[in-house]
Amino acid sequence: MNIVEQTRIALLELFPDLAAADAEARAKAEAEAAEAAEAVAPVEAEQEVTAAAATGEAETATPPPAEESAEAATPETKAAAAEKEPAAEGPRQNGVAVGDYDRHGVHLDVLCDPQQVVAAAEILDQAGFFIEAITGVDWLKEDQMEVIYDYNRNDGRLCRVVVRTRIPRAEPELPSITNVYPGANWHEREAYDFFGIRFLGHPDLTRILLPEDADFYPLLKDFTL
Amino acid sequence: MSEYWNDIFGGTKSLLVGLGITAREFFKPVVTEQYPWEVPVMTPRFRGHIELVKNAETGKPNCVVCGMCMRSCPSGCITLAGKKPEGEKKKVLTQYELDFTKCSLCGSCIESCNFNAIQFSKDYNLASTRKEDYLFDLLKRLEEQS
Amino acid sequence: MTAPIRCREDETFVLNLGPQHPATHGVLRVKLTMDGEYVVKAEPVLGYIHRMHEKMAEDRTFAQFMPNTARMDYLHALAYNHGYVLTVERAAGIEVPERAEYIRVITVELNRLTSHLLWWAAFLLDLGGFSPLLYAFDDREQILDLLERVTGSRLTYCYFRFGGVYNDIDDDFITGTRNFIKRLRSRLPRLYHDLVTKNIILIKRLKDIGFVSKEQCRKYGATGPLLRGSGVQFDIRKNEPYSVYPEFDFDIPVYDEGDCMARYMVRMDEIEQSMRIIEQALDKLPDGPVRAKVPKILKPAAGDYYAAVEAARGSFGCRLVCNGDKSPYRLKLRSPTFSNLSLFGEVAEGMLLADALAFMGSLDLVIPEIDR
Repeated sequence: MNIVEQTRIALLELFPDLAAADAEARAKAEAEAAEAAEAVAPVEAEQEVTAAAATGEAETATPPPAEESAEAATPETKAAAAEKEPAAEGPRQNGVAVGDYDRHGVHLDVLCDPQQVVAAAEILDQAGFFIEAITGVDWLKEDQMEVIYDYNRNDGRLCRVVVRTRIPRAEPELPSITNVYPGANWHEREAYDFFGIRFLGHPDLTRILLPEDADFYPLLKDFTL
Repeated sequence: MSEYWNDIFGGTKSLLVGLGITAREFFKPVVTEQYPWEVPVMTPRFRGHIELVKNAETGKPNCVVCGMCMRSCPSGCITLAGKKPEGEKKKVLTQYELDFTKCSLCGSCIESCNFNAIQFSKDYNLASTRKEDYLFDLLKRLEEQS
Repeated sequence: MTAPIRCREDETFVLNLGPQHPATHGVLRVKLTMDGEYVVKAEPVLGYIHRMHEKMAEDRTFAQFMPNTARMDYLHALAYNHGYVLTVERAAGIEVPERAEYIRVITVELNRLTSHLLWWAAFLLDLGGFSPLLYAFDDREQILDLLERVTGSRLTYCYFRFGGVYNDIDDDFITGTRNFIKRLRSRLPRLYHDLVTKNIILIKRLKDIGFVSKEQCRKYGATGPLLRGSGVQFDIRKNEPYSVYPEFDFDIPVYDEGDCMARYMVRMDEIEQSMRIIEQALDKLPDGPVRAKVPKILKPAAGDYYAAVEAARGSFGCRLVCNGDKSPYRLKLRSPTFSNLSLFGEVAEGMLLADALAFMGSLDLVIPEIDR
């Protein structure tokens, strides 16, 4: 199973409803794939094995149908994500979407509730991700503030994950992830500095780049030069 | 204990090698440019502040006062004005000012110009203690050049 | 060995390092709580050269933001140019001609050489060695002359454009670069390694100083030579290939020790690898246009775009949020040293002040890039 799929399933823990539906869909796809594999002439299966052996992967032990099913599941989820996208004209539903890497530069795009960012950080921490950046986006028209967490891996397996959440603009508060990632400390201070987003439980939420007596948040859209 | 002696002998050797290299370099020819006496030649693509280009035939600036350079400038350093003299079809440039204190030499203005009216100059030794010295009147500069 | 002399617990004092200290390479201030010669707590204070590039981006068109990117990390400006154009090209779906990609790689790698050479010079200056600075600057000036011939500027380049580069390179540049690489190759073993790397004083000052573990790097999001000096083989050029980097055969130097010496060695080896990339790129340089046709005013479709490049100090990423307008709705610039410096406080605890300075030098800080 590739890392993107693995992480996707891990992240689905955040959304029990979606996880159940997804597991069902995957089981179904697996069964279908297994059937299809049986139907296909064994020559192809053999080819698969030799191909896997040629790449020198230690995964040759896993039966080819399982591998195939993982691949079969990904397009399906991609299709689901594509289906969701037109609906994204309205507010997007919480969940884990498989991003189009070539177009947007991320593999997984998670939208969750503000209270879930710590749980998401814990899952990603367990999976060996590192925090790349935390930032905000001010959506003045929707009267919302978006907080974006960028995660990446440094072990050679490519998977970029972006976790985003929306908070009301009038009361920009959400829990801090500094307990999971100490490196998030400065990034959260920066987001506070630029947007006024308050990270609850942060050890030292003060201005970092702007002077300490600044009384404005420069990246808010209603702050004009 | 052997590490101790290794440190002393190896260390002394490394220092002597270093001294040898420095000594040899000491007698090599000077590589720095003796600036006021030796003046560097700027490469053809060197980006000095911009200047107006003169039309070889008419001797007037190539500029047609379209204002593209003014709009493309990220920091708004260009101010230009022109007027249409009576009986002529084209506008004539009457004012072209560059605020060089803001310019970042990105070349957007030169790229945006479709009439080959501006280019990078080769002036590199600009120095002044007064800010006003960097408000260049390029039209005047063009007249002075000829 | 006698036990180090320490003050009583209540006798710590606060020492301000910077913002005008030569070892902080710019205007970084570190508030140090000292117990005699030992650092009890180190707190970097940022923001002395903060310019709010991200707000400026929201106020300008995509093309107008170009000159700003070079002013973040002025030592590896072209990589920042590259990161930004990659993001916008991704957003607007612009194809870049192959020759332009090669020219980008050549100039970015030359610029990486200048950055590493300057780091080497300044780092040794921090440690108290002056003459290496002159040798490194001699070589660096040669590269700057080459780059000036192509880009027109010496430090804050604005050379890349969406869909290509500003102008083509000429034969003089190609032969000049080949000659320079030959020259640096001949100088590296003697002037760099014999004189400095094998020097006992340097080894004693750097070995086992400033240990950073793999796990610390991950928790703090450290990248670049700092991460590779801690035994993690991570380089965006290899792990997440962009531009034409997959075409070249080069290695990612990794050292497991995690101390200042490892980071020093990583950078020294990277100089060699960059030269290899440049040589291969010059050999393979295809003919063709250097710039695609791109509309003057770009209006990418609404959405989120991310692209990252490997700058000399780590992975630089741009997150671009568009709303279909001609200027970015939000541009987040992820600068590598911001994350790298954030672990300084934890690692510097309990160090001697002189060692903390050596550690700070080995992080290769460029303050304008941290403060943006």
